[in-house]
Amino acid sequence: MEGVVPPGTSTQSEVPKPTKEERVDYMNLPCPIPYEEIHRESFMSLKPELFEGMRFDFTKLLNPNFALSHSVYMGPTAIPSQSSETIKIPTAQYEFGANFIDPKLMLVGRVLTDGRLTTRVKCDLTDRLSIKVNAQLTNEPHMSHGIVNIDYKGKDYRTQFQLGNGALFGANYIQSVTPHLSLGGEVFWAGQHRKSGVGYAARYETDKMVAAGQVATTGMVALSYVQKVSEKVSLASDLIYNYMSRDVTASAGYDYILRQCRLRGKIDSNGCASAFLEERLNMGFKFILSAEIDHIRKDYKFGFGITVGE
Amino acid sequence: MATALNVPPTAPVTTPQQMKKEEEKVDYLNLPCPIPYEEIHREALMSLKPELFEGMRFDFNKGLSPKFSLSHSVFMGPMEIPSQSSETIKIPTAHYEFGANFIDPKLMLFGRILTDGRLNARLKCDLTENLTLKANAQLSSEPHMSHGMATFDYKGKDYRSQFQLGNGALFGANYIQSVTPHLSFGGEVFWAGQHRKSGIGYAARYNTEKMVATGQVASTGLVALSYVQKVSEKVSLASDFMYNYMSRDVTASFGYDYILRQCRLRGKIDSNGVAAAFLEERLNMGLNFILSAELDHSKKDYKFGFGLTVGE
Repeated sequence: MEGVVPPGTSTQSEVPKPTKEERVDYMNLPCPIPYEEIHRESFMSLKPELFEGMRFDFTKLLNPNFALSHSVYMGPTAIPSQSSETIKIPTAQYEFGANFIDPKLMLVGRVLTDGRLTTRVKCDLTDRLSIKVNAQLTNEPHMSHGIVNIDYKGKDYRTQFQLGNGALFGANYIQSVTPHLSLGGEVFWAGQHRKSGVGYAARYETDKMVAAGQVATTGMVALSYVQKVSEKVSLASDLIYNYMSRDVTASAGYDYILRQCRLRGKIDSNGCASAFLEERLNMGFKFILSAEIDHIRKDYKFGFGITVGE
Repeated sequence: MATALNVPPTAPVTTPQQMKKEEEKVDYLNLPCPIPYEEIHREALMSLKPELFEGMRFDFNKGLSPKFSLSHSVFMGPMEIPSQSSETIKIPTAHYEFGANFIDPKLMLFGRILTDGRLNARLKCDLTENLTLKANAQLSSEPHMSHGMATFDYKGKDYRSQFQLGNGALFGANYIQSVTPHLSFGGEVFWAGQHRKSGIGYAARYNTEKMVATGQVASTGLVALSYVQKVSEKVSLASDFMYNYMSRDVTASFGYDYILRQCRLRGKIDSNGVAAAFLEERLNMGLNFILSAELDHSKKDYKFGFGLTVGE
């Protein structure tokens, strides 16, 4: 019996490291981002929850898993008017919510003073299969809808099936083709509106940037690009074009994530400039400022708010 | 020959009780000068009526020289427009105001112009030590909406008197006199030619270091009472009562005023169901952040605004 190889003898695998890193291991590609989150980074940077008036949110943790939230909003809300002028009337609403968050099961419910109920359920049936349910119920007839998603996460691909009320069926599939690039496609059929469509998406990401593109037969073309300039700063831009209705919007924005605050600013090709500031005044105490100036329609929206709790 | 009494000067025998009595004896020839008649309710007005607004406000004051400064003020937000229904309707508006101030010990000039064409001008000139001229004008491009007023103030030893002349044949005079070191009484008459109205009014004000109480009655039907108590260095409480005995309209309000090192917070609640708060916080030297909130529960109208003031 030969003795074991004494430690210290180098094997062939230590030779030229750079070439080895350049060689892509197609058997070990990372799992891609879910199809609906293709534009996630640009969405988080360019579309903060702008509001007008005053907002107060209070989140109370009853349990490590269970939390209640109270949210009060008061301010002018735009109502549809016949003329081109924007008309606003002051409204107030209160929203009560409950969240149960478990590693395998997540339940979120929200009810508003105008009678709308929003619920979300996310359940991991196995390691790879998860089911998501999303429902919005109102007391107006024919305005309630619900949708069920079944997701399967493979080694380097994801697939999803959707079923919704009003005979809505959808499926999408996304696959990593290189460590940075993933491609995907989707089909959907809406029975109620007698519409069907096919779409394709591509996403290229590195440590410093993310570029995503999406095309669909409904006429939508969406491209986005996010560059992480430094630890604290990232820049994002976005282009949405509808080739059926010839409607195009381009926007560019920045996202400063500092220690005590987060500032997001954006300017649009529709002449709309907006900014959103979240400042952490204290532990669990956040102050929010929101501003949106639409120069074309001469509409100005300013709001401030406080968020208490995690 | 009057012989000088060689009596050794005896120190005046004043026991502590007698000294107190001397301090209590009011010197009616040396009363303080009273507050001007139109500023009778000054403390209550400063505490209870901050400049609440809705939307966003940005003010920038630049001093070009120790006496002269320019100011730029931008306001954007929903403004209420008169509507036929009882609902409150607002449309978003924006305006810019440019102003110039010249402040001298003897002369003060103040001008403001807005983007909708309105011009505000104020002048205050000390002609002599006791006589002051004040002029106030508001010009606008709408016809018959401009007005101006000139006021002559004479400040006596323990009284003040004022004559007012305005356009539209407006004449007024008022007089206020200190009667004790704490109490002052005054009266006014006015005659408005254009509206064919005339009136008489009386006012009284009692103030000590800790509190101010004022009352005012006029033949136009106005009864206004106010009381401000300075609870401590930083806190004062104010309350206000206004009653119009012609139109049977009554409003009572109660508020607080916290003047802290870095900020000033004023809050108020009304008998009309209006709760309001106004916060001015000094973020930095010359940088003030303002938050304004007003909730009208009976009319269901909510007004929130924030702003920034740069400069002194």
